[in-house]
Amino acid sequence: QEFQFGPCRVEGVVLQKLWQAFWAMKDIVQAQDNITSVRLLRKEVLHNVSETESCHLIHALLRFYVNTVFKLYHDKAAEFGVLKSFSALANNFFVIVSKLQASQEKMFSTHESARRRFLLFYRAFKQLDRESAVTKAFGEMDILLSWMEKFYQL
Amino acid sequence: VPCVSGDLPKPTNVTFISINMKNILQWNSPEGLQGVEVSYTVQYFIYGQKKWLNKSECRNISRTYCDLSAETSDYEHQYYAKVKAMWGTNCSKWAETGRFYPFLETQIGPPEVALTTDEKSISIVLTAPKKWKKNPEESSISMQQIYSNLKYNVSIYNTKSNRTWSQCVTNHTLVFNWLEPDTLYCVRVESFVPGPPRLAHPSERQCVSTLEDQTIALEVK
Amino acid sequence: DGVAVLPAPQNLSVQSTNMKHVLTWSPVIVPEEIIHYSVEYQGEYESLYMSHIWIPSSWCSPTQRPECDITEDITATVSYSLRVRATLGSLTSAWSTLKHRFNQNSTILTPPGMEITMDGFHLLIKLEDLGPHFEFFVSYWRREPGAKEHVKVVRPGVLPVYLETVEPGAAYCVKARTFVKAIGRHSAFSQTECVKVQGEALPL
Repeated sequence: QEFQFGPCRVEGVVLQKLWQAFWAMKDIVQAQDNITSVRLLRKEVLHNVSETESCHLIHALLRFYVNTVFKLYHDKAAEFGVLKSFSALANNFFVIVSKLQASQEKMFSTHESARRRFLLFYRAFKQLDRESAVTKAFGEMDILLSWMEKFYQL
Repeated sequence: VPCVSGDLPKPTNVTFISINMKNILQWNSPEGLQGVEVSYTVQYFIYGQKKWLNKSECRNISRTYCDLSAETSDYEHQYYAKVKAMWGTNCSKWAETGRFYPFLETQIGPPEVALTTDEKSISIVLTAPKKWKKNPEESSISMQQIYSNLKYNVSIYNTKSNRTWSQCVTNHTLVFNWLEPDTLYCVRVESFVPGPPRLAHPSERQCVSTLEDQTIALEVK
Repeated sequence: DGVAVLPAPQNLSVQSTNMKHVLTWSPVIVPEEIIHYSVEYQGEYESLYMSHIWIPSSWCSPTQRPECDITEDITATVSYSLRVRATLGSLTSAWSTLKHRFNQNSTILTPPGMEITMDGFHLLIKLEDLGPHFEFFVSYWRREPGAKEHVKVVRPGVLPVYLETVEPGAAYCVKARTFVKAIGRHSAFSQTECVKVQGEALPL
């Protein structure tokens, strides 16, 4: 049971645990997102991603979640009583980012298209006020996990 | 005729019931209005797009459900739906669902199960459940095409020994041989997709008997 | 915070077997008084990105017993910091923190309990359900010289799992070990169990 993002392999993360963690807070978290006319992880960001692209893209996305989204969402997670789920996702994303870091250093292929996809996500994020953007990104983790599941080898 | 919004209580428990991507919006009538001739109007919204959309077949209806399968057939999109109650010139505020993600939330129905037997074996052929389709003439899409990691949990019950055992398979044919002749076996199959928790839908229990042993004694070959 | 007149709990340690983790400590004794304890944890993420944040344990905030099942709190293969404090009415002790951070990859894995049964000519195995972390590698072979060993990955369920269709009169042996995906480690193999199949052996 491991992730295989093109050349990047990540062991030690049980995807079922991430689903359980997100599902426990999905309704609470998504109910806080009132800007339903904006979707950050649009089809243009995640559809038809090539194998080699996938490693760069997931690394950029998860690094952003670990460094920005989780950091800024923590107080809300405490407020809504979902700290346990928050911690499960944050620590497992942290594991994936750490292991991808090691793989990335060995990769020499260009990743311009992965960067463009990430920028689509990032620009949409930046167009919203910070609190709304963080709430929306946190609520869209089901889209992210669905995409990650495609690279999960049982 | 525009109605006065908010005078009626809202419908309650507005939720999607989804099996094999057949997505039905259902709700309970507003508190205190049971038995009153209330009508309902439904709208739906595609997450990331701009406006609420009407469902013409669910405007001023008296039933408390609305089939939104066609409107929510792109299962990689996410949706909201809402319903309001109307009675005379009064109407309720909208009652809204949470964000509905068919790809993650639809329940996977059981496969079709075909059993054939001979003296000591049962052959099981499974046909993956089909995705909902608008017209019968349309070509069918198997749920296997949507969920490549679809698995089946096959359980078999020996009515003579009163034992049940199971096997998890991904392929669509399996044979249990060396069974006991002239014995009734019952089979039940459940589809399973890794991912978020989903309600299970086991197949109906199907029973079949192995044939009588044609040979009097085991021949020595 | 309350005045730390109450002594802080001492001798914190974690016992972890088969991915079930229990934090224990020496009880704080105040004659004729009931002491309550609160347990909190921090994963590596919290320690690095928000070190002031501690998360109350699922089952032990508060508890009266000098131990806490933290299994549900440990949700990633990272190192966790754990702390405990005692409370008596409005009196609260200082926090006592586990000396060495805990990582679930240090858990002790024991060979699994298993039960081999037959239904007619079908070899079945019932495995101890150790929770969602576990898969089972089941080895089985026909007891005869040069027999090939088969290996099957089994995920436990409520029912016995079908292993193999066997031949009358033959003997078959089975052993199993666990594999924990999250930490990538195996247990030792269980004892081997052999069963004799009813009926007369088929002529060669």
